[in-house]
Amino acid sequence: MSIIDELQSLKAEALASIADAETLSQLDSVRVTFLGKKGSLTRVLRGVGFLPAEERPVVGKISNEVRAVLEAAIQERQAALAEADLAARVSADAIDVTLPGRKRLPGRKHLINQIAEEVVDIFLGLGYMVAEGPEVELDHYNFTALNHPPTHPARSATDTFYVRDLSQGLDEDQGPVTEVLLRTHTSPVQVRVMERQKPPVYVIVPGRVYRRDIADPSHLPQFQQIEGLAVDEGITFGDLKGTLDYVCKELFGRDRMTRFRPHFFPFTEPSAEVDVSCGICAGSGCRFCKKTGWLEILGCGIVDPNVFGYVDVDPEVHTGFAFGMGVERIAALRYDIPDLRMLVEGDMRFLRQF
Amino acid sequence: MLVSMKWLKELVDVDLAVPDFVERLDMTGTAVEAVRTRGEELEGVVIGSVLMKEPHPDADKLVYCRVDIGTGDPLRIVCGATNFEVGDKVPVACVGATLPNGLTIKKAKLRGFTSEGMMCSAPELGLGGDATRLLVLPPDAPVGVRFSEYQGTTDTILELEVTPNRPDCLSMAGVAREVAAVTGKTARRPSSAPAESGTPVTESVSVEIADPDLCPRYTGRLIRGVKIGPSPPWLAERVTSAGARSVNNIVDITNLVMFELGQPLHAFDASTLATREGVGAVTVRRARDGEVLTTLDGQRRTLDSEMLVIADDSGAIALAGVMGGESTEVTSETRDILLESACFNPSSVSRTSRSLALISEASMRFERGGDPQGCVDALDRAAALMAEIARGQVAPGIVDAYPVPASDRLLELRVERMNSILGTDIPIEESAAILSALGMEVTPSDSKTLSVSVPTFRSDLEREIDLVEEVVRAWGMERVSSTLPGGRGRIGRLTPRQRWIRRIDATMRAVGLNETMTYAFIDPTDLERTRMSLGEEERFVEIVNPMSEEQAVMRWSLLPGLLRSVSYNQRRGVFDVHLYEIGTVFSTSSGRKLPREHTAVGGVLTGAWSSQVWSGDSHPLDFFDGKGVVEALAEDLGSTGLSLRVSELDWLQPGRSAEVLLDRKAAGWLGEVHPKVAAALGAEPPIVAFELDVDALLDAAHDTRTYTEIPRFPAVTFDVALVVDESVTAERVEQAIRKSGGALLDSVRLFDVYRGKGVPEGSKSLAWALSYRAPDRTLTDDEVRPVHEKLVRKVCAAVNAHLRGE
Repeated sequence: MSIIDELQSLKAEALASIADAETLSQLDSVRVTFLGKKGSLTRVLRGVGFLPAEERPVVGKISNEVRAVLEAAIQERQAALAEADLAARVSADAIDVTLPGRKRLPGRKHLINQIAEEVVDIFLGLGYMVAEGPEVELDHYNFTALNHPPTHPARSATDTFYVRDLSQGLDEDQGPVTEVLLRTHTSPVQVRVMERQKPPVYVIVPGRVYRRDIADPSHLPQFQQIEGLAVDEGITFGDLKGTLDYVCKELFGRDRMTRFRPHFFPFTEPSAEVDVSCGICAGSGCRFCKKTGWLEILGCGIVDPNVFGYVDVDPEVHTGFAFGMGVERIAALRYDIPDLRMLVEGDMRFLRQF
Repeated sequence: MLVSMKWLKELVDVDLAVPDFVERLDMTGTAVEAVRTRGEELEGVVIGSVLMKEPHPDADKLVYCRVDIGTGDPLRIVCGATNFEVGDKVPVACVGATLPNGLTIKKAKLRGFTSEGMMCSAPELGLGGDATRLLVLPPDAPVGVRFSEYQGTTDTILELEVTPNRPDCLSMAGVAREVAAVTGKTARRPSSAPAESGTPVTESVSVEIADPDLCPRYTGRLIRGVKIGPSPPWLAERVTSAGARSVNNIVDITNLVMFELGQPLHAFDASTLATREGVGAVTVRRARDGEVLTTLDGQRRTLDSEMLVIADDSGAIALAGVMGGESTEVTSETRDILLESACFNPSSVSRTSRSLALISEASMRFERGGDPQGCVDALDRAAALMAEIARGQVAPGIVDAYPVPASDRLLELRVERMNSILGTDIPIEESAAILSALGMEVTPSDSKTLSVSVPTFRSDLEREIDLVEEVVRAWGMERVSSTLPGGRGRIGRLTPRQRWIRRIDATMRAVGLNETMTYAFIDPTDLERTRMSLGEEERFVEIVNPMSEEQAVMRWSLLPGLLRSVSYNQRRGVFDVHLYEIGTVFSTSSGRKLPREHTAVGGVLTGAWSSQVWSGDSHPLDFFDGKGVVEALAEDLGSTGLSLRVSELDWLQPGRSAEVLLDRKAAGWLGEVHPKVAAALGAEPPIVAFELDVDALLDAAHDTRTYTEIPRFPAVTFDVALVVDESVTAERVEQAIRKSGGALLDSVRLFDVYRGKGVPEGSKSLAWALSYRAPDRTLTDDEVRPVHEKLVRKVCAAVNAHLRGE
């Protein structure tokens, strides 16, 4: 057999082996077998030296062609095998994507504080600062300076929690009504703010307040209130209406309406209660709003000149408005909470809903 | 205040339908709390005709009747009364009817006879009269017709919420005046002048006010020879429509006039008064400390000198403005009535009625403020009715002690000022018309100002602003246009402290805790239960009048409340609990009026972050999860000064308890709750808890952060496992490593703690990954190795460690 025939049969044999290689390592040993230093092609080419000089270039050319063909075949086969290999791995890696994700959920903010923050943020946008005050208050700030007469029923020990006054020491015998109490509204902060800041005053006061109500589905002895106070030159009752109308629309929806019903509060005059139109029946009357079409939401009014008297603001120069809303009430209306006590139980299943 | 529409319409024209009328009242400041239809309670009571009446064979006092109620099937009724005959028309309560006294009629067997209804007496129908006798109706009463329809008692009753500043609206005449003003009508005021006869009142009665500060006016009339008896139906109906019970003609008249004119009246049996030379001498004075009075409700009450009484020479005979006394009560034998119409100091009445827990229709009116000018009208009206209804003779004249007669108050209303407060443009004429309609005398003092004379029944109107309110509520708040405050500009912004608290709040949630709110008042015995303690001088903030002993003090820590929430969850099968609360904690000490209030952030963690997940990673939460929360918080606040001090705190499990320090200052505590404490609060351990003082956190917080270059060259990391005695803390080893580190040591990370095979008892192996890095070149192993070996030798010497496996 001539050397050329040998090269041709080697080529055929090698191409068959390349095609048969099932894995990259088999393919590699095929490469070594045929193209390696000790491989078949090398061995055949060693015989070239024994050929007559005129045949050598022809054989050299053919052998180079064979090498090129084989290298190309190996490369092609290599790519095909790598592709198949990846496909196999990918296929083995398939998962059930419907299994639950691995998560560490962030915690939730308490519903009441979510709402309080929402209200506060609305007022920050309207240019109000946030003010705070103590939860244990003096009668002076909670009642007297808010124009409550000495016999006002809210001052009775049946309505208000009184706190033992230790200013005279530990042993002093005390009646049921002291000068120290758990604030019954956030309004005392009005007085504290005006004592230390001259008008203009624009503040919003979120805070916890206390009243002697037995805890039941619609009452808690402690709850959250948000107070607002604006004192400036030229503040009007219309400003109060516009502000609260805007806030109610932000809180409950653009389509909701408000109405102002004259009412009485000791520390504002004129005073009003504000209703927002019922979201269930849109004002036509349903069970949710007790057929009135309206839901009572807050109390408000023009700051009474007597209150200004306690903090040395001249009512002839400055006027102001104030309002107070119960956050639990808003929560109950917005989410139809059946029992306010759920708000203080700390049940994870409740807290995670909001 | 209950308002009968039927009655109201006699005093003012109402041409609005009920819903519109109610809305008009609502929108002008008289809140209507409920609208009821009267007569509904007599649903099921019809007029019957007695067909048969026979003695009950087994009971002397019962009769057995058949009564036709127009259904064609006469009812069988067993009855105890006997004042009726066959053919009489009587009210019959059928099976299912509920009477005003609450009795529901059922089919019953009485001594073997079935009874299918009940024939009623007047009191059983809420009317005045004899309870032992059936109410026999006129012969022309139509059989089968509803009794309330026949009586004409169907009526609409409005329940008004009268605000405390409007005592004048606690009367029908007052409501009528208000209605007239807000609907543009004219009110008709009821009044009567009694015909007088006999000897003048002054010959029989004298009145003296000893304490005029508590009683501005006391008036009286004497009505002789009254005949006490049941009220006529119209009178009984009136007082019941206003919510009272019909008692007898005299009591009903005093109540009627109180409801009508708002002036409480009291009737004494004049013959029971102690006389002085033949004259019943009445004194209005403070009670003596310890003085005793038996009030009309039969209670013996001990009085004090803060209370005002009506007295004769024998002692107190009535508690002024609150309740009459038993000794002078009007009885069926009473002939002569001394009628009192007075005005008492609101605060005094309020104090008295509260301290005796005795609230009456009279006290409720007086404590909101009476009208001294209205006393005589009411007196005359009642006397005239007593003459008419109880056939009494009204003695000529009145007794009237009125030391300082009240006069109308004069106010000015600057209409421009009013409009600038309201943001309106209400004309002066319209303002004047509103105030006149409300009963004021209004004259313009110039083109911009009204001079307003306020009658004494509107004691709430004391200042210009009070008139502003009157005008706007009647003019209509809905007509005021909505605006927003202008002003010269303002900025709305949280203070730094408020922003930091929001940051703390956000971090708590980011690490997976859920915000809760617990009660601020807790059980004082929780102090022992939690094994916590207050500082030497510290005291609880005690509530004088708690709702219960379990809520008698203000919390000094968030822990008791949070543990109760853990217990609440666990008892309901929720075992993975991650809660935090930011709230006020309280403490006080002797000499303090207001307590100390601190804002604290506290948390509890128990169970796992998420239990029963298919992908694993549900390790039970322990100390280090809590520590991780505190570390995350410190990092987020930009604080690098966090450290823990091993500390045995009684409420925490020993060995898993630490104080939290920030910049070496106490900031709170962290640990696993002592199993005994958990058990005492009904919670299942292990529970990790912490509580930090928010201001301590804020002191350590930094909101300026500086840029440090990101390393450009790679680090070389060597691991080393150091075996140390159990008593050596990881923190100590880390400090030793850092101290020995030199310039190339870049980071130190503990990656394993091992006890067991290969490590001697009483020792532990701490495995560290130490990274070395140079800022300007890539380090080689060969360069780092000698540095690392030197470091390890130094550390081993410092903490008495050896390399694991050596």
